[in-house]
Amino acid sequence: MNCTQAQALMSAAVDGELTLKEQKGFEQHIRSCPSCLSEFEEAQKTKNIIREKIIRFKAPQSLVKSILKLSDSPL
Amino acid sequence: MVRLPNTYRITNMPSSPKKKNAPEQKNTLSEKEKIKQKEFQEEAVEHINALYNYALHLTMNPDDAHDLVQETYLKAYKFFDSFEKGTNCKAWLFKILKNNYINKFRKNAREPGKVDYDLIKDFYHSIKDSQSDSEDLNAGYFRSLMHDEVYQALSSLPEEFKEVIQLCDIEGFTYEEIANMVESPIGTVRSRLYRGRKLLRSRLNDFAQKHGYNTDNE
Repeated sequence: MNCTQAQALMSAAVDGELTLKEQKGFEQHIRSCPSCLSEFEEAQKTKNIIREKIIRFKAPQSLVKSILKLSDSPL
Repeated sequence: MVRLPNTYRITNMPSSPKKKNAPEQKNTLSEKEKIKQKEFQEEAVEHINALYNYALHLTMNPDDAHDLVQETYLKAYKFFDSFEKGTNCKAWLFKILKNNYINKFRKNAREPGKVDYDLIKDFYHSIKDSQSDSEDLNAGYFRSLMHDEVYQALSSLPEEFKEVIQLCDIEGFTYEEIANMVESPIGTVRSRLYRGRKLLRSRLNDFAQKHGYNTDNE
């Protein structure tokens, strides 16, 4: 596997979406390529920042009530 | 930012002939409808917070998000028979919401890529007090990034990148589900995530440098 092929698999590697064969090839490549390893780690960190920092809001109670009321009625 | 009139509230929608005698409705549910109602409440209603968050990200306006989610559930309930049991209900609801957004909001909303940063800032500041914030502000720039800075960086990405990052990193959908929602091949989803995260990292680095932090070891 070369760098171009590894980059094509980079996001899937971060998200655990590689096939076993792809995973093996990717891991083999980043062990011998500091540049792709660094890029992989950066992508992982970026994903973690998004997961940790984006606030999750609760839907307003008025909205929840209106949805529950909706499914109380026949259409 | 264009604020849209609240024309999508269910309360403002014309009633169907069946709804004329509203007080009697609860007693007129057939057995089939009762089962449907129970399944809908078990399967669909639990995703309301996720849908509301996604709607907020799309509209950047709490009132519009409220209306968008309401209309999404109205459609979902109406067409709940077409939901394939055993598949991901959350993904199904997201797809309905996204289609609603495109049809009802996007054509009238902000220009692509143009973000009202003041609105985002105000929005985050307005809810900040109610959020728990246990960050150690001395523990490196990226860990000390504030929510609105990350949100601003994410919002500044081109729509096609922002969308897949939201669906994957925030909502936790699989590539197959995302591909179905954005109506593109899985290879395109992979590529957009790769490029989107690279761009996002570079925007976050810009924030860091602007504030005088060295991010080499982050």
